[in-house]
Amino acid sequence: MASGQQWVLVEMVQAFYEAPAYHLILEGILILWIIRLLFSKTYKLQDSSDLTEKEIEEIIEEWQPEPLVPRMSKEKPAPSYNIVSGPPCHKITVNGKQCINFASFNFLGLLDNDRVKNQALQSLRKYGVGTCGPRGFYGTFDVHLELEDRLAKFMRTEEAIIYSYGFATIASAIPAYSKRGDIVFVDEAACFSIQKGLQASRSHIKYFRHNDMEDLERILKQQELEDQKNPRKARVTRRFIVVEGLYMNTGAICPLPELVKLKYKYKVRIFLEESLSFGVLGQHGRGVTEHFGVNIDDIDLISANMENSLASVGGFCCGRSFVIDHQRLSGQGYCFSASLPPMLASAAIEALNIMEEDQDIFRLLRDKCKLIHKELQGISGLKVVGESISPAFHLQLEQSSGSRESDVRILNRIVEYCMDRKIALTQAHYLEKEEKFLPPPSIRVVVTVEQTEEELEMAANLIKEAAQNILQ
Amino acid sequence: MNVGVAHSEVNPNTRIMNSRGIWLTYALGVGMLHIVLLSIPFFSVPVVWTLTNVIHNLVSKLDVRSRTRSQQTDRRAGRREGLLIVGSPMCLCFILQGMYVFLHAVKGTPFETPDQGKARLLTHWEQLDYGVQFTSSRKFFTISPIIIYFLASFYTKYDPTHCFINTASLLSVLIPKLPQLHGVRIFGINKY
Repeated sequence: MASGQQWVLVEMVQAFYEAPAYHLILEGILILWIIRLLFSKTYKLQDSSDLTEKEIEEIIEEWQPEPLVPRMSKEKPAPSYNIVSGPPCHKITVNGKQCINFASFNFLGLLDNDRVKNQALQSLRKYGVGTCGPRGFYGTFDVHLELEDRLAKFMRTEEAIIYSYGFATIASAIPAYSKRGDIVFVDEAACFSIQKGLQASRSHIKYFRHNDMEDLERILKQQELEDQKNPRKARVTRRFIVVEGLYMNTGAICPLPELVKLKYKYKVRIFLEESLSFGVLGQHGRGVTEHFGVNIDDIDLISANMENSLASVGGFCCGRSFVIDHQRLSGQGYCFSASLPPMLASAAIEALNIMEEDQDIFRLLRDKCKLIHKELQGISGLKVVGESISPAFHLQLEQSSGSRESDVRILNRIVEYCMDRKIALTQAHYLEKEEKFLPPPSIRVVVTVEQTEEELEMAANLIKEAAQNILQ
Repeated sequence: MNVGVAHSEVNPNTRIMNSRGIWLTYALGVGMLHIVLLSIPFFSVPVVWTLTNVIHNLVSKLDVRSRTRSQQTDRRAGRREGLLIVGSPMCLCFILQGMYVFLHAVKGTPFETPDQGKARLLTHWEQLDYGVQFTSSRKFFTISPIIIYFLASFYTKYDPTHCFINTASLLSVLIPKLPQLHGVRIFGINKY
């Protein structure tokens, strides 16, 4: 065997001596290439900066730090907050005065409900106060699983997932599905949490005019034309539409049947944010899908806040198992935040029980909304913005006084006038520099099921009085 | 990062080739492939080296159907039995094609990254070390196909056909590694 090996080796070495010239030249070039490679330095590709060291130093010298706390100008005094003592239920104590609450999103009056409170106390005695861990790290309790199950059954979807902070629900859900290079079509009046979710997703955002389906169709058609020009790129981009069921900034309801038609025509997925419409619209309170009679399987993801109708804390997303399961590893708010305190989860379960037992409250709430909506029509100087069945609507100035600050001050005077006479109202506050499409200043009026008709009429008359006194 | 440990790397693809033991694993893997090819009785010694070369540079660039097709053509080419220890030149060519696919054809990551898909359109070679050129693992992976090529051309006795296949395969693997071709997609192939 050894001699056989040697024979072959001799043959090989002979072949090396008889090798064709071009091949040896090629091998020589490759050896030189290796040597060059071994001696080359590592460098980053975008390293070329046009500034020399001296120029960089000069720029650093020139920079002056801004003060940590900016100076307050005399025209814009520091914001003063209305201080609430006690729970924000039907009768709220603001700045020491007891008023009727027309400002908190307590639509079904479940905040002060005895059954809910008792259940929460029982759960507090059983579980303690917090969970001290995210869902993946001993933070999953049986109440969480029960709440997810109950929500999925209530909304008639396959699965639901709970988040511990309502703002973070849609802000975690959107970046879990939409990444760089994907396209999201979103309404201009989308709330701040949707905007932060879109910013975190790093996708291309295309805004369409508020509730304007023709505008949406126009940009969808534009996108379709671009897709035809570049089909390979189109095959790997995902497209989404993000809408709210009941818009917090304008009180309008999204036209869901047309959206579903557009969805199937242009092959986009719909994410529906139902924070205000869950527990408000629909015959059984299931939201805008029940309100319009749309099949819930047509909507890819429904996300809602439990902080409004359910009078708990946190949020949930529901949809098909295939969709929701993805968020259990990719939803940043789910994986990296502590889970919902079990006390609040039990409170939410009890609130769901109440919602399922008493089907009448939804119709009652809508009737009250229609009542106050009718009463507030025709006030000179103020216009009502919102649907007649929307429990959270806005009162905007008909004629703006020129600058946003003076508008805010005028509305503030109306709010204070009402608060002095035992009606608690609030202005809709925004982070003015951070909003993409800043809505005009307005007073946000909230109707709850606990307000009696006399109180509603009293509030309407008071607002009319305030408008007459202040705006004339 | 070392493979299998807890790390805070946003995209592990960038650091995996610097992990402890990866280079040795890679070299042993190529050796294993070579031995497997050597044990197939139909391939001659030169055939096996070229096959190693080509598979190394190709592996699964074409889909599974085309790969078996190219193996069949090579089976028809050589018939002599290979000698185990001395080695087999030709098939080395095949090894190189494996490198091409995994480093230069397949884009993105097989796992979800928390950076919202920054590397979705980048091949693994472009992701290595976050785009820093001429790091040690990049040098290793540029030199290894050249070494395999030298061995393959030695063992095929500089036969012109084998030489052509091996050189073509080597060039297909060396050219995408140039820093000038970082992020370049010729004729829009593999762009999205």
